[in-house]
Amino acid sequence: METVEIKVAGKAIQARAGETVIHALWNAGMAELIETGCVGGVCGACTVTVRSPGGQMRGTDLACMCPVEEGMEIFPCPVDSALTVAPEPNPTGEKLRAAYPKLDRCTKCGSCTTACPMSIPVMDSVLRMRSGELDKVAEDFTTCIHCGLCRFVCEDGVQPHMMGMWVRRSIGSSMEQDNDKILEQESQQAELEWEYLLGGNSTDKMNHARQFRKSGKIES
Amino acid sequence: MEWAKDSLSKLEATREVRLCSEPPEFDTYEAEKLLDEYHPDYFGSQRNVRVGPNADNGKFPNELADLLESDSQLPFDFDPTVDIETDVLILGGGGAGASAALALEGSGLTVHLATKLRLGDSNTIMAEGGIQASLGVDDSPRKHFADAYVGGHGNNDPDLLRVLCENSADTIRWLGQLGCILDTNEDGTFQLRPGGGTSLPRVLACKDYTGLEIMRVLKDAVLLSSTKTLENHAALELLDDGSGQVSGAVLWDRSRGNLVTVSARAVIIATGGSGQLRFQEFPTSNHLGAVGDGLILAYRQGCKLVDSDSYQYHPSGTAYPEALVGQLVTESIRSMGAQVVNAEGRRFVNEMAFRDVLAAAIIREVAEKRGVQTPTDRAGIWLDTPLIDLQNGEGVLRRKFPGIIHRFERYNINPAKQPILIYPTLHYQNGGIQIDRDGRTEVRGLWAAGEVTGGIHGTNRLMGNSLLDITVFGRRAAMSIQSDLPERRPVTLTSLKGYRESLQSISSQSRLLSPQLFPTKAGMKIAFERKTAMKQPNEGLGVTDQPSFEPPDPFAK
Repeated sequence: METVEIKVAGKAIQARAGETVIHALWNAGMAELIETGCVGGVCGACTVTVRSPGGQMRGTDLACMCPVEEGMEIFPCPVDSALTVAPEPNPTGEKLRAAYPKLDRCTKCGSCTTACPMSIPVMDSVLRMRSGELDKVAEDFTTCIHCGLCRFVCEDGVQPHMMGMWVRRSIGSSMEQDNDKILEQESQQAELEWEYLLGGNSTDKMNHARQFRKSGKIES
Repeated sequence: MEWAKDSLSKLEATREVRLCSEPPEFDTYEAEKLLDEYHPDYFGSQRNVRVGPNADNGKFPNELADLLESDSQLPFDFDPTVDIETDVLILGGGGAGASAALALEGSGLTVHLATKLRLGDSNTIMAEGGIQASLGVDDSPRKHFADAYVGGHGNNDPDLLRVLCENSADTIRWLGQLGCILDTNEDGTFQLRPGGGTSLPRVLACKDYTGLEIMRVLKDAVLLSSTKTLENHAALELLDDGSGQVSGAVLWDRSRGNLVTVSARAVIIATGGSGQLRFQEFPTSNHLGAVGDGLILAYRQGCKLVDSDSYQYHPSGTAYPEALVGQLVTESIRSMGAQVVNAEGRRFVNEMAFRDVLAAAIIREVAEKRGVQTPTDRAGIWLDTPLIDLQNGEGVLRRKFPGIIHRFERYNINPAKQPILIYPTLHYQNGGIQIDRDGRTEVRGLWAAGEVTGGIHGTNRLMGNSLLDITVFGRRAAMSIQSDLPERRPVTLTSLKGYRESLQSISSQSRLLSPQLFPTKAGMKIAFERKTAMKQPNEGLGVTDQPSFEPPDPFAK
């Protein structure tokens, strides 16, 4: 099997070509070097910075999503969680600004967009937050994994992912729900159906369930 | 994917005909034969356990049986002295634990939530496809029940399943109030997708990131609550009062390297599943910590485990590229029209069959050499993803399944244009700790919720029922505790002592220590400062070749 050598936090390890940095660490018995969670690119625990084989800085990544490459160097870059602010009903740009006053510090450098492992247009979305286009912001942050790299790289202390969460929760909790169905009244018919599905021995139950999922009716 | 050129051209050649074809169907007899011959649960890699509540009663995968017959990580002379006193201790920081914590908010009880990783690092956050709720016009909790009962082979506990199905609408409302945004139609009603084995569309989703949406909202809400979160605190053992009631737990603080003894009036186990035990060396879709800790802890306290021989191998795990092996490709993509096709371009199974049947069918195709060999020495079956856009319009795949696109694009594979290779991946622990309708275990003082429990899903879970399970039963356990909170009791290791004695009665003891906390593959070791002078661990068992504790490393972070 083809192997490559990579360095993680200055330690050289042999990795199998094609695997991720995280799996290479596991195979080397060095899993503790990088904080790890889901191993599927969605929990944001294994944030790292990467240097290309030539030595130039490539930027940030998730170690569990980063395939090994001969000569690459990986540096752990854990991001602590930030204090969160409670969502508010019917959010506006002004309410967001009150919750996260650092919003206006953004100098449009674009580092946050570059750092985002989910390809979210972070800086553009911060500008949309400023102008109060919150529905679009909520959409932008649909795929946010809350790794915090956008906050980590921001020299001005802006917290895009925290604001994205605030906007999404505020909008989500203000949505009208389809309450008719949700408050379904349990009718007498429902009780009869339960009796049908739960009655008899295990063979009866199975037959009743099979039959009921086909026709949606009780058949005696 | 130049190496698969021949097979790809066969697939493309049949696409037009397949588009209008009816899927091949198996009757009940054929499906059962298929399961019997090809589903990993039936491979015979299972055995009895000789000690504890399931002694010679029920089968377990060999790897899990070994852990159940293993000694504790705790030193023999460890003497618990209370460091933290709380009313409720929740073990596990996934969806079930977070739901329980939120349902305890405002109860006046002190709540600690301990998690081995960070809050939210869990299988919940990786769930893609959605959450079932019977909100459709012609749907009802009874239809939901019938689907899940047939899907679970009738091995479900009907009472638990009824509770699950009757609470789906309320759960969606609760998630909405917390601020979860699920996909809606233009008229504001929820979009309902079909799932494997659902008799009508019942799956609500947030793109293919439903678990992420739910978990990040639950996490944010927990961080804003009065719950004290103990991250990087792994549960090593449960404590009891000496007469069969659970009274707390011993945690290992990974960051500081010491043990923490917690006294609690009620403990909720919400530690999740065990996919990282990688039975029969299957790849897994599970997170780092999924090694069955909660099963071990509860078992030593006398909790019976149900259906522990039953695991779900998700039919569409990624088989190529190597870096993504085992990772999930959501079932929704099949419900939207992506077909499952063998190396010869032939469709061989109904893509919306129950998960276990579909997984077995894929394993059979590969076993009978109709799979596609990858350059990394694996084999898989095509999932014809370009069909989504062909049937639903250009751009639909990207809009509805951004996660799939995001992951594969990095490897120059565009699933909107090229099919992807799949093979079943170890996904879900169907069985687990036996509970009642309120999440109570058989042991006083101990509740359980989520993937660690068994009975709800029988021996095969339907898509979208686990996100529902964790939110329904996590909250129910919390409500039950509020109405029936035990008094505070002394903390002892009496149950563990008894278990250790019974371990000595069996021959050929396991040389492992459990709970294992992390996959052996990960090589993560326990290294903590001891509170008391320790004798040789496991000396009673005569095991000396695997030291359980390393001296503290002064250079460790």
